[in-house]
Amino acid sequence: MRDARVEIRIGGTGGQGLILCAKMLADALCAAGRRVAQSQTYEPTSRGGYCNSDLVICDREVDYPLATALDCLVLLDRMAVNPSWPLLRCGSLVIADTRMCPDLPEGDCRVYRLPLSRSAIELGSERVTNIVALGALCEMSEICERKALEQVVRAESPKSFLDLNMDALAEGYRLGIQARAAAKLPA
Amino acid sequence: MNAVDKLPAPGAALRLVSGNHACALGAVAAGCRFFAGYPITPSSEIAERLSRLLPQVGGVFVQMEDEIASIAAVIGASMGGVKALTATSGPGFSLKQENIGYAAGAEVPCVIVNVMRGGPSTGMPTRPSQSDIMQTRWGSHGDYPMIVLAPASVREIYTETVRAFDLAETFRTPVVLLYDQVIAQLTETVEFPDIGDDARAERKWASGPREAYQPYAANEDGIPAMSRPGGGYRVHTTGLTHSESGFPTQNPEAVARNLGRLLTKFERHRDVIDSWQALDCDDADVLIVAIGISARAATRALATARAKGVRLGLFRPVTLWPFPETALRAAAKTARAVLVPEMNAGQLELEVQRILGGKRVYAMHRYDGEPITPADIAARAQALAQETAI
Repeated sequence: MRDARVEIRIGGTGGQGLILCAKMLADALCAAGRRVAQSQTYEPTSRGGYCNSDLVICDREVDYPLATALDCLVLLDRMAVNPSWPLLRCGSLVIADTRMCPDLPEGDCRVYRLPLSRSAIELGSERVTNIVALGALCEMSEICERKALEQVVRAESPKSFLDLNMDALAEGYRLGIQARAAAKLPA
Repeated sequence: MNAVDKLPAPGAALRLVSGNHACALGAVAAGCRFFAGYPITPSSEIAERLSRLLPQVGGVFVQMEDEIASIAAVIGASMGGVKALTATSGPGFSLKQENIGYAAGAEVPCVIVNVMRGGPSTGMPTRPSQSDIMQTRWGSHGDYPMIVLAPASVREIYTETVRAFDLAETFRTPVVLLYDQVIAQLTETVEFPDIGDDARAERKWASGPREAYQPYAANEDGIPAMSRPGGGYRVHTTGLTHSESGFPTQNPEAVARNLGRLLTKFERHRDVIDSWQALDCDDADVLIVAIGISARAATRALATARAKGVRLGLFRPVTLWPFPETALRAAAKTARAVLVPEMNAGQLELEVQRILGGKRVYAMHRYDGEPITPADIAARAQALAQETAI
């Protein structure tokens, strides 16, 4: 179906801020007039346990709101690899955290291993790994205007995390640009 | 996301709202001013949101000690003249059954949200299910009428919550809003419709001479007038079978008359109560009947199949109980086979079989906590179209 449907998953474990991260992206897309459906799978444990947050983006109203064939997959923990891998569309974009997802299966997709959590730790807190990932995802997928995303992250950040989140987002973009250059992807 | 705490302005622009938050917003828009509940996944966001919204509009939010007390408080609030809501999921819904029967029998308007998760018992708190379809209709003991609405999108949760209050007030009945965990915790871009501030339904209030007032005497519309608390009308309310006076009776004639009115009170109002969506049914070879997330999957399956020239149709009951049978019969007219995908071991299927009599009705069941996919539905429906081809 030619309805420009794009599917994105951010997978990891509970407590990594995957849902918040997807909601921020959804907010930025909604502000740009896109139709978005954001869903999640989680376990009853509030920390740890497999968790993912999915986005379906469309130009018209989303008929089926759950992921069926992923265009982009961000992996922040190895736990998310097996449940998500079979959903990857041919040629899809995979961004995996080097530290948390050392081993990935073979697949017909573009895989980028980026130091997302390492960068977050160096910035001051592993908790902003989700925002680093968001920056890298948006740079590499070009799904969203950077300005719109920055605006949402700024609006949704608590005061104590504002500077750190903005730095994390910039670092994510930097990692994305670097990875594209290394792979000689068109800018 | 604090913007959701603000009530939507009529005709407001595109915004992102979750299903449960839309329910809270719809309740306030419908005039609900009392919520009593006990948190349970995956319905808790309704309570959480109403705990912030209700105080803004002069309403009352109470977190009760359990689910039984919650529905009891809701019934009390409604008898006090206030539009009232509780929200829960399977285990809590089971606990509420005795008092739901009381509300149906004593004809107390109220709205109960049941967000379906995997069962039985405490089951799978964070996984979706559609296995309370029969319980919403038959969960309490005895014969009683029930209205159940089954929205399938965030926008529809908003509009059906409003309609649930309108129906509850108009027909003096508990109304259940039934949807699955996927729709409940799904966040979608929504344009809220203008539901009109002043057009909200009010229950019929007692008027006329106080001495002549009987709390369960009804005119031809079958709906008795309630008395406003403190209005000076004498009222007796009981779960025991009662006569027009509201006092208990076991006199067969009085029971037949009063229970008979109760059990048939929706029949003459089906034009207002029934609601459904019929998609591409006019020439369908295979008709899919589904609710909630299964219906959303079917919508996509339909588009895939139609693109290949396979004629599928979708019938989605929005009012689930009483089931819109006349509409289903009309929608199934050209269908050689009917397919019912549902996230349970076979419930909606039974009602569809009952209504469609001789038609070939096939079911798709899934109860592992995973939704039925559009691809599964499309494959099964296309196979049925081929098998039944003339």
